[in-house]
Amino acid sequence: MESPLGAFPAMGTVVSVRLGEVEVELPTDGALVDGALADGALAAADAAFARWEARCSLFRPSSELNRVNRGQLALTDASPEVREAYAIALDWRARTGGAFTPHRGDGAIDLNGVVKALAIAEAGVAIERAGFARWGIDAGGDVLVAPVTAGATPWQVGIVDPADRRSMLAGVDLGARRLAVATSGSAERGDHIWTAPGAGPSPFSQVSVAARDILTADVLATGIVAGGHDALDEFAERFDVDVLAVQSDGTLLATPGWPRSAAAVPPSAAAVTRPAAAPAR
Amino acid sequence: MVILGGWQLGAMSAVTSPVVQGSAGTGGGSNSATDAAASGADAGTGTGSSTGSATGRSGTSTGAGATGGATATAPQAAASGIDGTYTGATMSTRFGNVQVQVTVSGGAITDVSALHLTDADRRSVQISNRAAPVLRNEVLQAQSASVSMVSGATYTSMGYLRSLQSALDQAGF
Repeated sequence: MESPLGAFPAMGTVVSVRLGEVEVELPTDGALVDGALADGALAAADAAFARWEARCSLFRPSSELNRVNRGQLALTDASPEVREAYAIALDWRARTGGAFTPHRGDGAIDLNGVVKALAIAEAGVAIERAGFARWGIDAGGDVLVAPVTAGATPWQVGIVDPADRRSMLAGVDLGARRLAVATSGSAERGDHIWTAPGAGPSPFSQVSVAARDILTADVLATGIVAGGHDALDEFAERFDVDVLAVQSDGTLLATPGWPRSAAAVPPSAAAVTRPAAAPAR
Repeated sequence: MVILGGWQLGAMSAVTSPVVQGSAGTGGGSNSATDAAASGADAGTGTGSSTGSATGRSGTSTGAGATGGATATAPQAAASGIDGTYTGATMSTRFGNVQVQVTVSGGAITDVSALHLTDADRRSVQISNRAAPVLRNEVLQAQSASVSMVSGATYTSMGYLRSLQSALDQAGF
C-alpha cells in the first residue's frame, strides 16, 4: 500500500508524491535502500518542477520566459524546452478554438496553462527512472499516476466539492483507462476571474477532466471553465475524456464515461463507466 | 496527503473565453476589443470578423462560425460602427449548422452567442460523449478510506486549503 512519500513546494503550490512498489532489485537492507530510492525519486521529481519553474515562471524575474517577455531574450534564442512548451500551448490554442491561449491580455506569453502539466509528466518519468513502477503525483489538485498492472488496485482520487470544500463530490479511479485528472474552477464565490467582454462569468464553478495524459486533462478543464457549455460539448466530442462539471447552481453534468456509482449505473452505460480492473466499490 | 493550490491563479488572466458559439466551437465571432480580452479573442481560430474599436466608435461584427474554416461573413456593417445586434449567416460545419449573433455596444462586442444548431447536430453530439445532467448520488462517490489523492480547483484560497489540509490530516491522509 502506498504511503505519502513526501511533498515539496513548486510553482506556487505543493506537489505530493506517492510511491508504490519498487521495481528494481534491492541489494541488501530493503528498508534502508527503499528509503534511499524514494528520496532519490522525490528529488528527481522536485528537480523536474524546478527546471520548468526556472524556464517559465512568470513570478521569477530571471526566468527565461520573463526575459523573453521583457524583450531581453528572443524567443528563437530561448531553450528548446521553452520553445517546445510554447509550441504545445499554441497547438492547444488551435485545438480548443482559442478557449485556451498562451497569451495574456497584455500580449505577454504565459505558459502557466501547460507548464505545470509538463512538469508533472516529466516528474513522472523521473520517478520511473528512479525505479518505481507505481507512483502518483498530485500537484495542487492535478493528478497523474502510472498505469497500474493488471489486477492491481487503481488509484482512487477524490474530487473536491466546490460548495463544501472539506468534502468530496465524487471519485474517479486512475491507472487503467484514465491516468490523469485535472480540476479547474471559475472563481471564489462572488467574483468572476474568467469574465471577458461578452462572455460573462463561467456557467461552471468547477470542471474536472479525466484523460489519458495530464496535459489534455489540465488544458481542457481550464478551457471548459472558460468556454462554458459549448466548450464542454465540443471538447467531450472531440477528445477522449470524461468530464464532470459543476454548474453554478450546484447541479452536475457528466459525460457518459464519467464513473457512476454502482447502484445508479444504467445497464447500457455500465460497460464504459468503470475500468475492468476497478473494484466494485 | 498534501493539497495546496495557487498555481493556476496566475494563469487565469491568460484564459479568456472566446469559444462562444455552437458546438462547432472554433470560429465564431472574434473581436478586436482593445482590453484584456483581445488576445484571447484573437486566439479563436480563424473565423468571424472583427471591428476596429480604436476610434471609439461602436464596432459591429457578424460572424458565422465554421470549424477551422476561414469563412466568415463580414458585412459592411463592420465599417458603419453602430451599436446593435447582428446575426451572421448560417454556416455548415461538420457538427451541423451554426449561426452566430454578435451584440455591439459602445464600440465593443459585448455578447457573442450561437443562435442555431441543427437538431441533427444535437443528436450526433448526444449519442457520442455529450455531458448530461446527473444527480449527485449517481456519480461514483469517493470512498474516503481509500482515496489517495484529491483533485480540486487551485484557485482556492489559502484559508480553504489550510482547512482542507486540516480535514485531510484529521482523516489520516
